[in-house]
Amino acid sequence: MWQVSKGVTLPSPPIAAQDERQRRFEAAYAAHHGPVFGYVLRRTSNPDDAADVIAETFLTAWRRLEDMPPEPQARLWLYGVARRVLANHHRGERRRWALADRLRTDLAVYRPPEYTGELALIAEAFRGLPAADRELLALTAWEGLDHGQIAVVLGCSRNAVRIRLHRARKRFAAELARGQARSAHPGVSVPNGDLA
Amino acid sequence: MNQLSRITPVSDAEAARLVRPDTLADLASDITATAPSGRRGHAAAAPRPARRRVLLIAAPLAAAGVAAAVVAASSIASPGHQHGSAVKDRPAVTRSHPATGHRTTQARVLSFVRHGGYIIVKVRDPLADPTRYNAEFARHHLDIRLTMVPVSPSLIGTVVYMGLSQGASPITPITAQGRCFTGGGGSACPVGVRVPADFHGNAVLTFGRAARPGEKYESTASAFAPGEVMHGMSVQGETVAQVVAALHARHVTVPLFNTVRKSVGRNVRHVPGDWYVYDAVPWAPGQVMLFVGPTRTEPKLGSGVSRGPQPSPSPTR
Repeated sequence: MWQVSKGVTLPSPPIAAQDERQRRFEAAYAAHHGPVFGYVLRRTSNPDDAADVIAETFLTAWRRLEDMPPEPQARLWLYGVARRVLANHHRGERRRWALADRLRTDLAVYRPPEYTGELALIAEAFRGLPAADRELLALTAWEGLDHGQIAVVLGCSRNAVRIRLHRARKRFAAELARGQARSAHPGVSVPNGDLA
Repeated sequence: MNQLSRITPVSDAEAARLVRPDTLADLASDITATAPSGRRGHAAAAPRPARRRVLLIAAPLAAAGVAAAVVAASSIASPGHQHGSAVKDRPAVTRSHPATGHRTTQARVLSFVRHGGYIIVKVRDPLADPTRYNAEFARHHLDIRLTMVPVSPSLIGTVVYMGLSQGASPITPITAQGRCFTGGGGSACPVGVRVPADFHGNAVLTFGRAARPGEKYESTASAFAPGEVMHGMSVQGETVAQVVAALHARHVTVPLFNTVRKSVGRNVRHVPGDWYVYDAVPWAPGQVMLFVGPTRTEPKLGSGVSRGPQPSPSPTR
């Protein structure tokens, strides 16, 4: 229901400016909520966390709307906001938002897929990478972004993206090869290190 | 990265489909009903570096209700509860009035107690002028701004808004929850904040306080939450006339109705009595705003459509 803050004492801007601000937020929200929901859900292991991160992302976007670039970069900027909220979240700075209550209910049905066979190996290799590598690869494979767009999300140069992505791909390939080798010869990896 | 595309956990479209349209619309309107930014209070100041702002909205307290209204003085500030090397406050400060030169005695509005590596700051007077809180924080070399806003009864003593500057050391609000939960009827709901002794950065904190008669709430729980004026009532399928009569019996009035026309919500003073009530929010002590319309069930709003003007702070504030 209405367990939300209806605002605080901070003085409000003139009505026209406020309306314009609201329209701008609503336009961005309408256009990009799907990508943002997807971005966050793809990176969280449980829907409760996803709901809080989504709510905080849009709340931050609303508060920092003046920083939001015009289209077509608004979506990339929102990814950047979501990325920082997620990073805080993963650092243990978790907050439960009343704003997210209904979102939490709706998202509760979501379960991240579990993979078997070859896909399980891919997923495992991916999980084995450093977080920065995972984010670069995911922005490419899951959000479908090019180098220039990733540079906007991460706030770095296009060239830096190109170099880091190249290295991330190499590390991913190596990790995958290791996993495949392990699965082909399961005997070499029993927990205590002895050969089976 | 074809291989990684194959383990895409969920597509954007699938993710969006998980959320019901009204949830989607309400999230947007709930967010835009919050204060846009903390910067506005410092209109003349240059934009500050990126600030991390956090909105904490407490769920309505289960049984606190009006008992929570005695948020007033904190019992914890009593000397018996002080631990460690207390930064003892004299109970009052004497100072000259800048204009008259008269010496006046003002009770401290905050108490500061050092405990371990922290300073526990408790609010002794929730109705004090916010500048006095800020002055007392400053006296302790803390760049913390504390405000109190009028809230509907079940949110009294909770944190409505908290913002920290980027890189600021974490401060922890101490809310009324837990203290009021256990009942005890008259148990006070002290609110305060736990600040690391070496706090750096700056913070803005807003707590909910009881509203004065006629004062509009700036933050509300559901009108049906425990402790709120419509707790236990149902408006499902009821007409405006029926609900207004039931509210009258509870000495609750309806200054405004919110109705959606052409996807835009508006506040109006009068609506036909045979219209239907969909929802209600607390407006001010003894007042609620009703969401109404001519059809028995509320028309569904599309994504991104605001429910219209909310009982947010009046734009003329």
